[in-house]
Amino acid sequence: MAAASVVSALLAVTRKNPVHSMLWVLALFVHVAGMFLLLDAEFLAAVQVIVYAGAILIFYLFVVMLIDLPDEDARPRFGQHWPFAALVGLSFAGLGWLALSDMRLFDGGLAAAPSPAAANGPPLGSLEDLGMQLFGPFALPFEMASLVLLAAIVGAIVLARRRGAGA
Amino acid sequence: MIVPLETILLLSAVLFGIGAFGFLARRNIILMFVSAEIMLNAVNLSLVGFSRHLDDPRGQVLALFVIAVAAAEAAVGLGLVIAVNRNKPGVRIGDLTELRW
Repeated sequence: MAAASVVSALLAVTRKNPVHSMLWVLALFVHVAGMFLLLDAEFLAAVQVIVYAGAILIFYLFVVMLIDLPDEDARPRFGQHWPFAALVGLSFAGLGWLALSDMRLFDGGLAAAPSPAAANGPPLGSLEDLGMQLFGPFALPFEMASLVLLAAIVGAIVLARRRGAGA
Repeated sequence: MIVPLETILLLSAVLFGIGAFGFLARRNIILMFVSAEIMLNAVNLSLVGFSRHLDDPRGQVLALFVIAVAAAEAAVGLGLVIAVNRNKPGVRIGDLTELRW
């Protein structure tokens, strides 16, 4: 599954046709949702499929199809600086790998921490667990997130509205 | 089924690298946004991995917030793309050197 997600991500950033690219990103998101399932995050996996694969990707696809691009295939898909960009991407991945091996070197960094409240209480990743967290210690960030989403809705409408069509 | 944390973190780093490469190399503004989404997904993956590893639900809550902010970012970004496209067709960022029209 990890290999599949890496392959689909690579294909997504290298395909010429934007619609094909979107479909590969969709495959990537579904695979990441599968990884979430393996990591005991059932609710997040569902949210990933519904919000990312369902809503965001469809939104992107709509915009790609709305802005019809007849000449996209003819244009170079990368800028002139793409080797530099590849270098940056590789160094990011390499940096992550270095930090990882560093952590393993010092040991204990990756050793399992004693679980604080594993004995009783709902299992990790369940809806009940996340809900208790969201409306308990994370109540304020939760409300902030709703505010951010509201601002995004209003902003998107204002930006995409035809000038002079509204008030 | 136990997934080792190293695997998750490595996958997350690789996905983030791919996303960064796509963001820097693509000249299509929509695909740049999608690359940013790939990076956000990579971060989500490592957050959930840590959450599983430390047996702490806070990581998943944080990942949920990341998804919410990603949705907001997609809405505003694509609204901008449509608004710019109305005045100046084309999605190549090379053409968008001026914000005034």
